[in-house]
Amino acid sequence: MPRTEDARLLTGLGRYLADHDVAGLHHVAFARSTLAHADIAGIDVAAAATLDGVVAVVTAADLRAAGARPLSHRLAPPYQPLSWELLAVDRVRHVGEPVVAVVAASRAVAEDAVELLDIDYRELPPVVGPAAAMAPGAPLLYPEWGTNEFVHLEGSTAGVEEALAAAPHRLQESFESHRVIGLPLEAHGAQGSWDPARGQLTLISSAQQPHQLRSVVAEACGLREAAVRVISPDMGGGFGNKQHFTREECLVGMLAIMTGRPLRWSADRTEALTASVHSRPQVHHVDAGFDDRGRVVALRVAVTSDLGHPVLYFSGIGPSLVTVGALSGGYAFPEVGWSLSAVATTTCPVGAYRGFGQPQAHLSTERVLDRIAQRLGVDPLDVRRANLLPAEPRPWRTYSGGLVDCGDLHAMVDTLVAEFGYHEWRHRQAEARSAGRHLGVGLSTLVQGTAPNQHDTAARFGSLETAMVTVLPDATVTVAVGTKSQGQGHETVFAQIAADALGVGPEAVTVADGDTGRLPYGQGTWGSRSTVMGGGAVVTACRRLRARMAAIAAHLGLTLPEEGPVDADVLAAVAATAWWVQHRLPPGVEPGLSTTVTYTPGRTNPSADGLQNHDETYSSHMTAVAVEVDPATGSVTVLDALCVSDCGVVVNPTLVEGQHQGAFAQGLGNVLWEEVRYSPDGQPLCATLLDYTIPSSLDVPRLRVVHQPTPSATAGGFRGVGEAGLIALPAAMVGAVEDALSPLGVRLNSTRLHPPAIRAAVRATGWRPDPAAWAAAGLEDRRR
Amino acid sequence: MSRPVRLTVNGAPASFDVEDRTTLLDALRDELGLTGTHAGCEQGACGACSVLLDGEIVRSCLLLAVQAGGRTVTTIEAVGSPGRLHPVQEALRRHHGLQCGYCTPGVVLTAIDLLERVADPDEEEVREALAGNLCRCTGYAGLVDAVLAAARDAGPGR
Ligand code: FES
Ligand code: FES
Repeated sequence: MPRTEDARLLTGLGRYLADHDVAGLHHVAFARSTLAHADIAGIDVAAAATLDGVVAVVTAADLRAAGARPLSHRLAPPYQPLSWELLAVDRVRHVGEPVVAVVAASRAVAEDAVELLDIDYRELPPVVGPAAAMAPGAPLLYPEWGTNEFVHLEGSTAGVEEALAAAPHRLQESFESHRVIGLPLEAHGAQGSWDPARGQLTLISSAQQPHQLRSVVAEACGLREAAVRVISPDMGGGFGNKQHFTREECLVGMLAIMTGRPLRWSADRTEALTASVHSRPQVHHVDAGFDDRGRVVALRVAVTSDLGHPVLYFSGIGPSLVTVGALSGGYAFPEVGWSLSAVATTTCPVGAYRGFGQPQAHLSTERVLDRIAQRLGVDPLDVRRANLLPAEPRPWRTYSGGLVDCGDLHAMVDTLVAEFGYHEWRHRQAEARSAGRHLGVGLSTLVQGTAPNQHDTAARFGSLETAMVTVLPDATVTVAVGTKSQGQGHETVFAQIAADALGVGPEAVTVADGDTGRLPYGQGTWGSRSTVMGGGAVVTACRRLRARMAAIAAHLGLTLPEEGPVDADVLAAVAATAWWVQHRLPPGVEPGLSTTVTYTPGRTNPSADGLQNHDETYSSHMTAVAVEVDPATGSVTVLDALCVSDCGVVVNPTLVEGQHQGAFAQGLGNVLWEEVRYSPDGQPLCATLLDYTIPSSLDVPRLRVVHQPTPSATAGGFRGVGEAGLIALPAAMVGAVEDALSPLGVRLNSTRLHPPAIRAAVRATGWRPDPAAWAAAGLEDRRR
Repeated sequence: MSRPVRLTVNGAPASFDVEDRTTLLDALRDELGLTGTHAGCEQGACGACSVLLDGEIVRSCLLLAVQAGGRTVTTIEAVGSPGRLHPVQEALRRHHGLQCGYCTPGVVLTAIDLLERVADPDEEEVREALAGNLCRCTGYAGLVDAVLAAARDAGPGR
C-alpha cells in the first residue's frame, strides 16, 4: 500500500520546520566557539547589538538573569557530576559550543551580528581522542573531576577468568569503530513563540521526542510542563541526530520568552556537521577463549568510548551502555565480561545515531567469530552456527539480563545460505582468486534489542507509548500516537494497524503524531520502537474499542464480528448510537467511541542481581555481502548483498524493505566514505558535504531483502525494524573486505574501509601493486 | 541595499526586492513562500534546492536571486498536485522512492529533466542523472525503480 504522506511530500507541500512562517518572525544565530578549549576572557557585544535589525544579543549571564536554568545529565555517581548552562559560561570545550545568541529580523542580519561580536578567548590545550585524554598530565575538561574519565564501569559473569584461562584457544585483538554522524538531510532547528497573556510557550521543533523535549524545555525555561506545547512537524530525517534535547531548542524557548517575538533557529550544514551530535567512536580490546569446534567459551571486552564534550541532556553515555550490554548478540556465549571507560574530549558531543551502541558491539562479536574461523581453518558460517542461540529456551537470558525472544536463528541462517547463494559465492571467490582477483564474502548474523527501556540509564526514557483512537460519528477514525515519524511512514503504518484491528479500510483512518497538545505523554521515535510500542498502543486501543462496538451492535440486534472486516452500515449505526443516542447503549457500556491507551509490554523485569531486560523485544537480521577489492587503489565494489529479516509481524513489506535499503546505504556510507575528522588541535575537518561525503545513487547497489517473520509476544506481534540493517552492515563489510584481501595477509580491525585505509593495510603486508598487471586485469565496474 | 528583481515563476510574473547577496533559494522561499524548494546544505552539494531555470536544472542555493532576473523559474509547486500527481511523482509514490521527502522535490525535478533529455534511460543513466541529489533515507533503490518505471510507462514519444 502506498503511503498516505507521499502526496504532500511529492508536491512540495510538506511542512518542515523552516516552512512555518508567521508574521513578525525573527531569526536566531549563534556565535559558536572557534577553539576546542579556551577560557572566555570577555565578550564585547556593543557593535553587534547596535546593528540595524538586531533585537537581542544574549550571553549566559543574560539568560541567568532571565531565569534560565542549567541542564544536567541527571546521572548519579559513579558518573562524574556535570551540569551546563544553555550558553557557555567562562570556558568553551569544543569547537561549535554556543557562546552568544543573536536575535534579528532576518537570518542574514543575525549572522552579520555574530560576525561583529568580539569574544576574547584564552586558548587552553585541546584534548583530542581518548588516548590523549587519559595520558598522564593530560589537560582536564573539568578539573574538579581530577581526570577526563566520565565513568568507569565493569560487569561480568562469574566464571570469565577461569573460562578464559582454561580455554583451548585464545585470541586477543583490538577493534575500532570510527566517528560518523547520522546526518539527516534536513538539519535540526526549532521555532518558538510566547503568549504572555496565557503564559504559554509553543515550540515547533524538528525533534524525535516531542513530549520529552517538553519536559526539558519547561525545566530549562522555568515553566510548568503544562505551559509548554511542543510540535514536531514533518521531519527531513532524524536517525538519532535529533533525539537529544539540545541547548539550542531550550535557547529558542528562552529567547522567545525574553524578546516576546516569534523566532526560529534553523541549523546550517556546517553547524549540523560540527556542532550537533557525532556518533560511534569506540575502541574494544577483546580477549576471547574458544574450543576446537569454534565455540566461544568466554569473551572479555574492554571498551574505551570517546564521549566528546558530554553536554547532552540524556547523556551521550547511553550508546556505550548499550554496547557493553549487547556483546553476545544472538550467540550463546557462556561467559562474558566487560569494562567501560568513557572519556571526555574537547570535540563535539557524541550521542545517538541509528543503532545506538549496537554496531560497535556487533563489530567485535562478528570479528571474533571471523578470527576464530581463520585460526581453525573453517568456514565462518560454521563458526556462527556453532555459536548461535539454540532454538530453545525462549526467552534466552543474556549475561546482561536481556530476555531474548527471537525466532529460530538457525532456520534464518539456512535461508541466508540458500537465498544469498553462499556456497555459489564461495565458488566464484575461488575462481576469481585463481584469476588474481580479490573477492570476499562477509557475514553478519545479528540479534538486536528493540523498543528499549532505559529508565535507569537515561533520564526521561520510560517504556510506554500512548495512543488515542476515536471512531467519529461518521465512522471515520482518528489515531494520535506519541511516536514521531521522521520519514518512516508512520501515518501509513498506524493507519494500517488501526484499520486491520477495527475492520475498516485504511483510507478511513487519519493519523497524527508529534504534538504534545494531542496526547498526555509519549516517548517519540528512536530505538526501533515505534511499531512495537506505538503499534502496540494502537492495537490495544482498537481492540478495546472493537469490543465496545461489538457490545453496542449486539444490543442493537446487529452483528459485528470479533475479527475481520466490519459491515459499513453496522459500523455507521454503532458509531451514531455511541455518540448520539446514549439511552440505546447496553447497560454499563461507556458512551462514545474513543479511548486512550498507555501501553507497555512490561518486560523490563529487573532481577535481584541488579540486571534488567533493556529491550521489550528482539529482531533478527542476517546479512551477507560479496565484494571485490582492488588492492592497488583500495576501492571496494559491492557485488551482492542480501538480508533475511525477522522484524516480527510485517505491517507493510514495502516500508520494511525501505528501512533496510536505507540502513544498508547508511552502513555502506559509514564504512566506505564517511568519517568525522579532527585536526590535532581539535578543529573539525568536515564542515561541508564535500568533506563529509555520504553515498550517492552511484554508490549504493540494491540490497536483496527476504522476510522471515516470527511474531513477538507484544501486542500486535511486532519486533521493530529501523536499525537492524545499519547495526549488521559494518561488521559484514569489514569481514567481506578482509576476506577478499586475506590471500595477501591483510587484517582489518577498524570500520574504516576508505580507500586510503585499505591501501595502507595492504601496503603494511609488504604487497606492492604491479601497475602493468593491474592495467591488464582491466577491472570493470561489477556493481549491480 | 535591496534591488528589485522581476522574473517568471511557475508560469506567472513575480517580483521582489532583495539584497544582492540573497540566494535564489532564499528568495523563492522567503519572498514568494515557495517552501517546496529545500535547503539541504546551501553549499551546492546535495541537490535538495534544485529548480529549473529556463528549463535547465540548477541549484538555487548557488545562484543569486538577482541572477534570475528576467528569466523563468520552475519549482516543485508547478509539478502536479496531491490530487493529480505528475507521472514521475506517481512513480515515486508507487515505488517507495521517498521516505522523509526532504530530497524529493529536487529528485522530482531532476528526474523530469532527465526524461526530457533521454526518452528511455537505462539504470546506469538514471543513477548518473540522480548522482547530484543526495538522499539519506532511501538507499536510492526505490528512487531508481521509480524513474525507470516512469520512463517505461510514459512510453516512446511521450
Ligand atoms: S541546498 Fe543547494 S545543493 Fe544543497
Ligand atoms: S527521502 Fe529523506 S533524504 Fe531522501
